[in-house]
Formats: sequence, C-alpha cells, structure tokens
Amino acid sequence: MAKKSVWSDNRFWQRSAAWVTGFASMLLIWLTFDTIPQIMLGTDADLQNGVTKRVPGPTVINYKITYEMDKKRGHEIPVIGEKEMFFGRDDYSEEEAAELLHLGKLGSQVKNCMNCHTLLGNGAYYAPDLTKAWLDPAWGPEGSMQAMTGKSSKEEAMAEFLQNPSQYPTHARMMPNLGITAAEAKGLVAFLKHLSSIDTNGFPRNFGKIQGAVHGK
Amino acid sequence: MFEPFVDVVPSFFGWLNQGPLTLTLFLHTVIVLPMFWIYKQEKARLEQES
Repeated sequence: MAKKSVWSDNRFWQRSAAWVTGFASMLLIWLTFDTIPQIMLGTDADLQNGVTKRVPGPTVINYKITYEMDKKRGHEIPVIGEKEMFFGRDDYSEEEAAELLHLGKLGSQVKNCMNCHTLLGNGAYYAPDLTKAWLDPAWGPEGSMQAMTGKSSKEEAMAEFLQNPSQYPTHARMMPNLGITAAEAKGLVAFLKHLSSIDTNGFPRNFGKIQGAVHGK
Repeated sequence: MFEPFVDVVPSFFGWLNQGPLTLTLFLHTVIVLPMFWIYKQEKARLEQES
C-alpha cells in the first residue's frame, strides 16, 4: 500500500482548522475586554486632575483643545488646555455637557452625517473628514469659514454654517440644507468638539498636514 | 522594528503593535507553530496505522 501523505489527510486539516478558529476566537474575546477600558469615557474629575484619557469626559467642551505633535509617539495628539468659552459659557456641568453631546450624537445620526463625512473612521469621503473638524484652522479666528459666516467664535460659526449650509459656497460639492435647528446645531458642534478631543493615534493621518492645524506649525 | 512603548493606556496588544509587522509576526508564529506539532502527531499516527 502506498504511503499516505499527511497533507491529504483529513484529520490534519480538521485539527489545524479547529486550532486556528479556536485561537482566533479566544484572541478576539481577549481583545474586546482589553479595548473596553481604553475607550471608556473619562469624567469631569479626570479633566480637573489632568488625567489623560483616550476619550475625555463630556465636560471637555469647557476647555481649549489644541493639536500638538508628540515626538515620542510620532504623531499628533489632542491636548486639553485652559478653560475656554463655548457658546458664552465655560461651566457646563457633567449632566449638561453629556446631554448636549447626546443631542449632537443623535443629530449626527438622524441627519446621517456619515453619508458624506467620516467620523472616527466610519463614513464616507465625499465631504471632509469630521474627526478633527473642531481643530481645523478654517474655523479659527483667522479662518475663511469664520470670516464667511461673520461670527466671532468658532462654535457660533460652525452652528451658523450647519443651520444654513447651502448659503455658503465651500467646496465644489456643497453641503445641502438639512433643516438643522439652532439647538441641534449647538449639540452637533459640542459633539464635534468632543470628537476632536479623542486620542485617535494620529488619525486621520493627513489632518496634521493642513497649514496651521498643528499648534505652532 | 522595536520602539519604546508610549501608549496612553498600556496593554499587551499595544505593546505587541508598536512597530510594523510585530503583531503579524507574533500571530503567525503562535498560529503556525502548533500546526507543526499537529502535523508530527498525524504523521506518527498514519505511520502506525500503515
């Protein structure tokens, strides 16, 4: 009888498949539990005590956020700085801020921002990536967007644009009017500000190349 | 290939994924090595049976 090869033996492939599937399943379960603490929302106390969290608490909207190059990590990271006015206030409580972010998150879902934009890697690239939109110098004091809306602060300019996007000529592909109310716009801007404060390991990679996006560059 | 660990939240996977290919090399190693062991066992079994 001819010698049977292991390669044509069913049991070898069965056992190999069982090992690979089992190992991959265990790895994915471990990875899930390993990720949970890393993506956990921070608290107001963390912000006050200078505890760095990957996802800061909702009250981060009370603070100035800048984007700085971290030489050690080799990419840019959002840095939470001094207190900063947000729609004329810098004392949003944890509940108020969370409520505002919740409204913004629901707004972003109901208006389907991801149909054109990208948030944290999810969505489309028909329109600009919104992950770090708050840090975009175009909305800053010397930015074209703020000048165009005639507002004196970043948040007001963004809220104004969101309510009447089709009034402002921006890209060749202009944003349509989605009927966003003033309250929704405020929530959406808060949502975007919080979004930009999330440490995404430098994602999106090309954002830092925008002139003036990274602090001191 | 090997760089200092600088993640915000230290984790085993973060440590593994510091350089390009480190995670891939590790996973391929731990997945393929036991397959050699399975191969040898099956070979011994087939030889015994014939």
